[in-house]
Amino acid sequence: MSSEVTLRSAVRAEWIKFRSVRSTIVGVATTFVLTIGLGAVICFAVRSRWSSAGPLRQATFDPVTTSLGGTLFAQFAVGVIGALFITSEYSSGAIRSTLAAVPARGALVVAKLVVLVSSIFLVAQIACFGAFSLGQSIFSGVVPTASLSTGPVLLSVFLGGVYLTALTTLGFALGLILRHSAACISVFTSLLLILPIVTFLLPQSWQNAFAKFEPSTLGQSMMTPTAPANSLSAGPATLLLFVYVAFALGLGVTMLKRRDA
Amino acid sequence: MIKVEHLSKRYRKTLAVDDLEFEVRPGVVTGFLGPNGSGKSTTMRIILGLDHPTSGRATIKGQKYGEIADPLHVVGALLDAKAVHPGRSARSHLRALAASNRIAFRRVDDVLEFVGISAVADKRVGEYSLGMSQRLGIAAALLGDPEVLLFDEPVNGLDPEGIRWIRELFRSLASEGRTVFVSSHLMSEMAVSADQIVVIGRGRFITQGSLESLTANAQGFVYVRSGDPAQLLRALVARGAVASPVNDGALSVSGLTTDDVGRIAFASGVTLFELTPQRASLEEVFMELTADSVEYGSPGRPGE
Repeated sequence: MSSEVTLRSAVRAEWIKFRSVRSTIVGVATTFVLTIGLGAVICFAVRSRWSSAGPLRQATFDPVTTSLGGTLFAQFAVGVIGALFITSEYSSGAIRSTLAAVPARGALVVAKLVVLVSSIFLVAQIACFGAFSLGQSIFSGVVPTASLSTGPVLLSVFLGGVYLTALTTLGFALGLILRHSAACISVFTSLLLILPIVTFLLPQSWQNAFAKFEPSTLGQSMMTPTAPANSLSAGPATLLLFVYVAFALGLGVTMLKRRDA
Repeated sequence: MIKVEHLSKRYRKTLAVDDLEFEVRPGVVTGFLGPNGSGKSTTMRIILGLDHPTSGRATIKGQKYGEIADPLHVVGALLDAKAVHPGRSARSHLRALAASNRIAFRRVDDVLEFVGISAVADKRVGEYSLGMSQRLGIAAALLGDPEVLLFDEPVNGLDPEGIRWIRELFRSLASEGRTVFVSSHLMSEMAVSADQIVVIGRGRFITQGSLESLTANAQGFVYVRSGDPAQLLRALVARGAVASPVNDGALSVSGLTTDDVGRIAFASGVTLFELTPQRASLEEVFMELTADSVEYGSPGRPGE
């Protein structure tokens, strides 16, 4: 029958929903402003203090990571976009009309993921490459710069976008599990901001053992061309982050299927 | 069309729906009546596959909701009119629903026109009055031109003109051969809008039938005003009637006909001033039916 609900039709529906609310527009704009704008501010600050920076600071300087510094803030914007994509359906009650239209809950999640991941991947890549290019032009002439023609540099910038996409998916997965916007954003913030602080309070040997596995540290590993001591290299870091996200998503889908809407 | 079989739903300790069983036929408006909290909404959510039943099942045209390949073309539902993202326009909301079930966008414009909210279709739904939201909810239910329609308390928040409009809509949908299932906690609403009524209380099936059959089977009572109510009361009770004093010294008697009451009064030498049979109103039938269900479920009943 030509009117059957398919993954394709569900994706079309979710795309209309995704782009027809203000929170998405605001979230995407915020992601650009934080990644590119705040990244530029960071780069200007580095440039203006470059001459007074010590030799060690100058020797360990990484123009790639620094120009992508805005992602540290943009990660919250994409996390909120992902969370709200599902929690707003619960807070308004619209989840019931959504599930009445697309009763296959697994397919609904896949449709939402297709829309969320492809949109935010595109946004995050534009933001990261924009931030990198703007940063290098700010550094140029004063501070050492990096070029995308170098393989590891290109990979780091690309993985910056991958990191933000993974985090929007994490926000979405937490939304499936928790169903409340506020609870979801609290947990998301705790994972990315509070967890590193807690780890920082632990003895040094524990810090060395655990810190590298935290989501925010994984992000730093992904966006650094040469891995510093006590952190994973980009490949394993990306993989581990994907495992975290996949675990949260699996839990979220299981709960969506079991619970009443 | 809609078939509910041995349906039960338990939320932690409360049994919201208790072994419910009934059928809703096409071509008539079927009212789903019960006091607030009697399990109407839960039953409707289970029919729509939103809540999982603890046991039993609900089917539409023999299929569980989740098995229907094109659900909006078969079933349209209005559960909660305010359950739309407040920041989205009515048109976007309907277009998303339409897209999911491959309904042409032209149909979105048609239903918006039909329910009379075309002029505000591009406004954010959060700015809508409850009446406008109800109309949007009805537009969503009609979107796929479905054979089966479910409405949960649809008249809430509507102005009198809206209420009349919605009653006529139900009638015309039913006359087109569709199955129309409408819940309400108001008997008076059912009396004017439904042909068939399913009554539940405390999650249990109480009765099902046409309006006429429900009132016909209900117990009427006899209003009797006499010269010596106390004497008459004793005589009536002695004959096994249930009688109780009402105002102005009259008695309300159930379980006996006017003829019986007249004979008993004559036999006990009481003068009658007035003897009137009272047919139970729909409201009273409802109260009587659901009061039984409340009594049935209340704890500490003697003999339990």
